[in-house]
Amino acid sequence: MKILIIEDEASLGRDMVKYLTNEKFRCEWVSNYVAAMEKVGNYNYDCIVLDLMLPGGDGLEILDALKKLQKQDGVIIISAKNSIENKVAGLKLGADDYLSKPFHLAELSARIESIVRRKQFDSQNLIIQNELTIDLRSKTVEVNKNQVILTKKEFDLLLFFVGNKGRVLSKSAMAEHLSGDYSDMFDNHDFIYAHVKNLKKKLKDAGYGDYIKTMYGSGYKWQQ
Amino acid sequence: MATMTRLLNKPLKAFGFYALIILLTSIPVYVLVVDYIWLTELDESNWLTLQHTKEKLQSREFTEADILKINQIWGELQPGVSIVKSDHKIPEDSIYEAMRPNEFDPYDSEDRFRGLKSQLKINGYLYEITIETNVEESNETLLAVAIVTISFFIILILGFILLNRNISLKSWRPFYQTLNSLKSFDLSKDQHLKLPHSDIEEFKELNKSLLNLVEKNVAAYERQKSFTENASHELQTPIALLKSKLDLLLQERGLTPQINELLSGIHAPLSRLSRINKNLVVLAKVENNQIGEPEYLKVTDQINSSFALFEDYIIAKNHSIEQKFENILNVHANPFLLETLLTNFLSNAIRHTPNGGNIKVQLKNRTLIFSNSGRNELIHKHMFERFSPTSKNQITSGLGLAIIKEIANKYGWKVAYQFENGFHIFSIEF
Repeated sequence: MKILIIEDEASLGRDMVKYLTNEKFRCEWVSNYVAAMEKVGNYNYDCIVLDLMLPGGDGLEILDALKKLQKQDGVIIISAKNSIENKVAGLKLGADDYLSKPFHLAELSARIESIVRRKQFDSQNLIIQNELTIDLRSKTVEVNKNQVILTKKEFDLLLFFVGNKGRVLSKSAMAEHLSGDYSDMFDNHDFIYAHVKNLKKKLKDAGYGDYIKTMYGSGYKWQQ
Repeated sequence: MATMTRLLNKPLKAFGFYALIILLTSIPVYVLVVDYIWLTELDESNWLTLQHTKEKLQSREFTEADILKINQIWGELQPGVSIVKSDHKIPEDSIYEAMRPNEFDPYDSEDRFRGLKSQLKINGYLYEITIETNVEESNETLLAVAIVTISFFIILILGFILLNRNISLKSWRPFYQTLNSLKSFDLSKDQHLKLPHSDIEEFKELNKSLLNLVEKNVAAYERQKSFTENASHELQTPIALLKSKLDLLLQERGLTPQINELLSGIHAPLSRLSRINKNLVVLAKVENNQIGEPEYLKVTDQINSSFALFEDYIIAKNHSIEQKFENILNVHANPFLLETLLTNFLSNAIRHTPNGGNIKVQLKNRTLIFSNSGRNELIHKHMFERFSPTSKNQITSGLGLAIIKEIANKYGWKVAYQFENGFHIFSIEF
């Protein structure tokens, strides 16, 4: 799958490429408006990560161009402007999601997963991981056809893990995923530990392998 | 506190006092002058009458019996004049004053009379002639003068007051207009100070200096605002980079638990940095009026969603929550700002309440009250200002209360703090 990252800050652009690239995703990165327009005009992407403040033009115009070209690319806006107006304008112009800077790369990855999934499985919103089946529409989880009852937060965390397979997730990133933008009002995110413990136990009890690994001192990792 | 006097009442008092002293001293002076004029005039009149009478008496040959008869007629017709035989000679004319009852004026106990005595020879006999005229007593003069003077004093003071008001209204009007403009000037809202035109040089200069001063202040305030805005925007990129680098670093293989511990220790200060910066961005936006349209919002809905958002933190700290909403309240505000305001109140309460404490949220009429248990009263002074320390042992962004205040100010809401029975009580009146 192809992802285009449009970001003028080179270092951040390269970090995103490095974090997102894996066996599933291939990433391309451009740093200015002209190059971005060229890429968008010539190729199709599964998801475009778009920074609104670009040298040479406004990111919103790229969105506008995509719409005029009737492209189906998923778009996630990342902006330092952090304003509701931008968010509304972006979503109106057809963006699928909005993430304000600064963000955790894990959050970006999970959101891209989610957009790509929505674009792919229009009829059947199922994620299948070995013996695990996640139904995104009814928000239910089954292990070997046995239903596992999860709380909303456990379900959200499970999706977060699935969207960041093989990567170490910090408690801070997980707290931000659950409590949103306001999680940085708190210094202590130890409640994550309780949620992960419950999630692990429920999956294990249903007969799923112990894929969630505790990385001592740093966080957790989904490893298959 | 000393009582305050309006500028224009000060000279009025002084003028009034001065006028009173002058008029009071004028009373005895007037009395003396009037009395002197009275007496001089009367003496002259008596003397004229005497000369006239003497001449007439000497120009005709009156017998002794005639004189007796004349004196008798005079006594009946004009009691002030008399002519009687005298047995000793007096050297010259003499003036005298006498007090005696006046038969025509029964209400007045005694009257003052001014007399002139003289001698003349008729038929070889020495006669004494007396002429008397009634004079006003000096205490009566005093009373009359005093009444007139005091009446004039009252008229004078009334005149002063009227004139003062008139002057105050006309000449001082630009001054009071300037004063009012200054009072209503708000650096965070107004760009210019509007001052009235004045013909008076002092006011003109005053206005000029004020305009100059305000202009400089506005410029300084603008610089400060744009500095905050620019600084916070410039900081967003490095913070975003730190965050992404840290995420990448965590993925590296071969990290020892010690390194991991260090790395996760970076998250907390980074979060704080990020929060401070987000708060500065919000403050800059509110200050610059760069926020969207207001909507009608239900306050309780927003409180409930904030509680849902922070549920994990409340459980983790084992706080007990009490909610009491007595009515429904809709406010007209921007959703993002209302959310920011309420989440700030709530996150403050959650963070600063010791583990296992109580948090109460009450809505009564238009007032929302957040109370949370705490040990020591916070430092009131400047508590709603940026980066002001409210207590010694806290790690905060230092901007939460400033944001609350700024948003409240924008919509004209009132925020207050008090400490009562071991509870910090923050209230906001919408």
